[in-house]
Amino acid sequence: MTARANPVGILRAGRLPPSLVMGGIVVALLVALALLGPWIAPYPFDQFNVRARFSPPDAQHWFGTDEFGRDVLSRVLVGARYSLLIGFGASALSLVLGVPLGLVAAYRRDVGGELIMRAVDVMISVPPILLGLLILAVTPPDIWKTILAVGIVYVPIMTRITRSVALGLLAEDFVQAARARGESAFYILFGEILPNAWPPIIVETSLRVTFAILLGSALSFLGLGAQPPMSEWGLMIAQSRPFIEQAPWIGLAPGIVLCILLVSVNLVGEGLREALDPRFAERGSP
Amino acid sequence: MIAYAIRRLLYVVIVVWIMSVLIFAITQALPGNVAYAILGQFATDRQIAELELLLGLKDPWYVQYWRWFSRLLHGDFGQSIIMQRPAGPLVLEAFGRSAILAGIALTLVAISGIWLGTHSATHRGTLSDRVLTLAQYFFIAVPEFFWAILAIILFSVWLGWLPATGYTPIGDSGFGRWLVHLILPVATLVTGLIAHVSRLTRSSMLETLRSPYVLMARAKGLPERLVLRRHALPNALLPTITVLAVDVGILIGGIVVVETVFAYPGLGRLLIFAIEHHDLPLLQAGMMVVTTVYALANLVADLLYAWINPRIRYGGRVA
Amino acid sequence: MTAAPILAVEGLSVSYATARGRLAALDDVSFAIPRGRSLGLVGESGSGKSTVILALLGLLGAGARTGARSAVFMGGDLLGKEAPNRRGDRIGVVFQDPGAVLNPALTVGLQVAEPLMVHRGLARGAALERAAALLGEVGIHRPAEMARAYPHQLSGGMKQRALIAMALSCEPDLLLLDEPTTALDVTVEAQILDLLQAERERRGLSILFVSHNLGIVERLCDELAVLYAGRIVEQGPTAAIFRQPRHPYTKGLLGALPRLDRDRALRLVPIPGGLPDLTRPPPGCNFEARCPFAVAGCAAPQALQPQPDTVRVRCHRSRELEGKAWPVESASPAQARRAAGEPILEADRLSKTFPLGGILSRLRFEGGLPRLGPPAAVRAVDAVSIAVRSGQVLGVVGESGSGKSTLARLVLRLLEADGGALSYRKRPVARVPDRGFRRHAQIVFQNPESSLNPRKRVSQILARPLALFGVAGGRDLAARIDRLLELVRLPASYRDRYPHQLSGGEKQRVSIARAMASEPEVLVCDEAVSALDVSVQAAILNLFADLRDELGVAYLFISHDISVIAHLADRVAVMYGGALVEEGALTEVLRPPYHPYTEALLSAVPMVGSRERAAQRVRLPAEAAAPGAGCRFAPRCPRRIGTICDAVPPPAHEPAPGHRIACHLPLDQLAALAPALGGMESSHPPG
Repeated sequence: MTARANPVGILRAGRLPPSLVMGGIVVALLVALALLGPWIAPYPFDQFNVRARFSPPDAQHWFGTDEFGRDVLSRVLVGARYSLLIGFGASALSLVLGVPLGLVAAYRRDVGGELIMRAVDVMISVPPILLGLLILAVTPPDIWKTILAVGIVYVPIMTRITRSVALGLLAEDFVQAARARGESAFYILFGEILPNAWPPIIVETSLRVTFAILLGSALSFLGLGAQPPMSEWGLMIAQSRPFIEQAPWIGLAPGIVLCILLVSVNLVGEGLREALDPRFAERGSP
Repeated sequence: MIAYAIRRLLYVVIVVWIMSVLIFAITQALPGNVAYAILGQFATDRQIAELELLLGLKDPWYVQYWRWFSRLLHGDFGQSIIMQRPAGPLVLEAFGRSAILAGIALTLVAISGIWLGTHSATHRGTLSDRVLTLAQYFFIAVPEFFWAILAIILFSVWLGWLPATGYTPIGDSGFGRWLVHLILPVATLVTGLIAHVSRLTRSSMLETLRSPYVLMARAKGLPERLVLRRHALPNALLPTITVLAVDVGILIGGIVVVETVFAYPGLGRLLIFAIEHHDLPLLQAGMMVVTTVYALANLVADLLYAWINPRIRYGGRVA
Repeated sequence: MTAAPILAVEGLSVSYATARGRLAALDDVSFAIPRGRSLGLVGESGSGKSTVILALLGLLGAGARTGARSAVFMGGDLLGKEAPNRRGDRIGVVFQDPGAVLNPALTVGLQVAEPLMVHRGLARGAALERAAALLGEVGIHRPAEMARAYPHQLSGGMKQRALIAMALSCEPDLLLLDEPTTALDVTVEAQILDLLQAERERRGLSILFVSHNLGIVERLCDELAVLYAGRIVEQGPTAAIFRQPRHPYTKGLLGALPRLDRDRALRLVPIPGGLPDLTRPPPGCNFEARCPFAVAGCAAPQALQPQPDTVRVRCHRSRELEGKAWPVESASPAQARRAAGEPILEADRLSKTFPLGGILSRLRFEGGLPRLGPPAAVRAVDAVSIAVRSGQVLGVVGESGSGKSTLARLVLRLLEADGGALSYRKRPVARVPDRGFRRHAQIVFQNPESSLNPRKRVSQILARPLALFGVAGGRDLAARIDRLLELVRLPASYRDRYPHQLSGGEKQRVSIARAMASEPEVLVCDEAVSALDVSVQAAILNLFADLRDELGVAYLFISHDISVIAHLADRVAVMYGGALVEEGALTEVLRPPYHPYTEALLSAVPMVGSRERAAQRVRLPAEAAAPGAGCRFAPRCPRRIGTICDAVPPPAHEPAPGHRIACHLPLDQLAALAPALGGMESSHPPG
């Protein structure tokens, strides 16, 4: 039996898994910080203050200052938007491109569908970071290209997952019943299959957000994503390397916040899976 | 089984070939770059045009591609622009050093991941299981480069136990020093992956333990030890093989980052170097090697899976 | 003096922890199995019958609480601490689904040998040898070879034999069987039952046989216990219970069975309602809510009362209800024989072949050189011609692999045929049929769980075909939906429900309503009742009969169960291996002359009241070589003449107009065959 979606209504507030709630709150908080960043930051993120450089965390600079005397807290706050932008932007892109491709590949078992899947197989054969490197290596990098590159990197896996979910659903009898009514392919895909397919797709997309944030900040760390003076967290950590001994907080602050973001996004993903996967809902006797 | 192996091999060849086209196409997208990169930013337009002609950069791209690819097949990986040396030996030497890192890391990941996952599954609900599960969440979510920084801060700066960067070949200062330089990079590589593999092994094991054939094994009165070892484990490990293959890809990504942080002279660092300095021949050569290695690793995993899984190894009906 | 029973259980109770509370799966179950005798445990889904076996073996999960006043096996406490050693050693188990229960990663021989290694201390080599011998004893050909094979390489029947060998390996005293033949074809099932009976006689085994199939239980079991919702409601010698059921549930079960020997004009007993909520088990009779004989006194706790014939019943009214059958509404007046109308849907030599594997899988190595072999293919349907006539039911019966489901899909153009023609009302049906055809030819599927879109309410599911075919729209829609629900006997309040809020039978009703929404002339029913419990099946069969009588819908009714077909169909087509081997009016097909396969099929069906037939059973060999160009049944046919059967397609005999048999045997020989049903089919009115 295929793991089918929980019917509407299971996500009632009282029955939300704790991981979803906890993770969701933290993520919401960080999103709020990202949106409000520039306004609530105590200092402009690029304001030099050479006299106060390398000051450890204190009352005026909660996270200390970096090699140019810039306030690390402000930079972290402003930098939140980049990580979130890459994470959600790239995932959304992979969703928008990958899901229709997957649906088509599942429905059309002919040359067209096969071609899509072979292309997907080839792209999956390349380690994600290399694909990203390849795409970013040839033109001057910036953050939008990073989002594009990371999004493209994850299209194949969204396609594959959508296809396998859709294939499972296509085998169900209610789809056959629809064919027996002479329904069009469009109706079958969007009227019968998609409503049942979106829960596993949502779960997978939330996992993609975690990986997209990771990949995006790794690329920025390597110098191929966001560029100075942007205070993207991966970039900040990269730039803190020469000063690790004398001022570790420059790298630790963005790193810890990045980890908090990643853990909460992960929790949200896990929580969604718990809430939406029918197998979890039916715990009980053998 | 033989037919299956041949089919997969053919498939690898096709994938590598397509990747070569892609790598070439993407890197040669702007031919102006190559000549520009060689001559530097003060070159005149005429010098650039001359060099382009000399290097055959004005030819149609498929001619250029074929030239590059056929040289590749003969073992000529081109000349590194920056280092002014044949790219081939450079890449292969760097690859060797990366392979050591990767090999050690993968072995550690496989052994610890499987052991931890199995232990978690068979001791489900106990304190150790809960602690491990919690730890997994965190370990998976922390980016590699941050682990590296943390490791450096902890072990190099504060405790001063381990060197932060660098590499000494075995010949120069002996096995001990060589090993010591490897510890931090390997440790950084394995943390996320061990969590990943153990998590998957745990859930695969739990599912296997709920399966009808395990019930049957118990119904036959077999001791639990035997049920675990002979009935549960082989089936539970099948998905783990698949995951390890995927993890090689993640490992490759991790290696690029880790080598950069620890200044380890491997292929990852070489690739970044090539990108930063627009050393296209070096970049192309490096990418080809990595892609081929990854494709071969996947092939090995698939064949291993097919070998262990009787459904694939011994095809259809006999009676 | 009777010897001590080999297994005596008193007051076995099992409860599970679930999200909704503690579920009482078994309540005070007591039974005893004398040495060398067999006890049948009968019940539908949710009765707890499988739980009994798991409880006896101590294999219920951690969330289950098991308790018994006493559970004595061969003088020792079964549920105590040293119980695990009995498993596999003194007690053998055979579970339902051999494919799931055999470890796919280990050879069959090793799995059969394991109990020997663990319980008898045999070395691996010796154990494997003994295992191969055991496989031979249970009727597996080339046992040494099979022992080295993996489970996926064996057919269902072979796997089940291997399981039996595994259970018998240490020569146990007690054999527990949980629906061992449910997943098998009827002819294979008959072989397995023969095997079980033979082994039982040979080894003096005691048997506990759990099943929902009353026919099998009657054949194999001396004693019977009927389980309902975790409690035993009737217990005693099998013959006595079948002769005179005393508990209303037993009466209902027997009345719900479609039987080849019963007058099909009678409606089946549809036990209304559903199982009680076992998290809050009723203190009184747990069957009260569904019982037509319920009175005020039923709310009091019921105990098992002894009756004549050493039967015990849990019903305080059993004496006064003696001999009273379950009240059934009389059949609707439109039962009068309908004249066969003109053919609506005609299939002419439809064929379908499925290729196996892609181009690369044809790659073979012969003599060291790579070679492209011929494409492997399965001929699922082979030049089948049938006609569905207006107002008539055409039943198609066959086992797995016969091609009947493929035929259903071909006839509706859900699958593209490779050859042959299809016409609707004499006009050819295009490859992509138009709306008119779709509207008038609909389908009901087997599995209620996957028939309905889980994300749509019943009203949405029914509204779609109404809107699509323009049957009703706008304000009319709601009224139409209500009428459809009424048609399938569902309350109007169900329109807002989601599928997961419906029971299996209710889901199937909604599927039928959906199919009927466009007012089709032909309804294809692909095993539409096979996944339902007996009582639910009875209700749906009644519904089908009503729809046929009231609305004049024609059916193409597909089933592997000949009893179900016999209850509904006017004409029957028998399929084997993709080919039509016999076709004719129901009564003609059930009597000789018949095709040898029909003969084997009919003689294999386990029927209540047919214990004596066992001796005359036609036994088919296990799966043999693939068929050649001739008769598809030839490799297994017990009446095979010679190579002509393999090479030449059989001619069609026509013993009566409209009755065709495809066989090389001459007609008079076919007519002289002994009736496989032992004269039981005579109660069907001719026509």
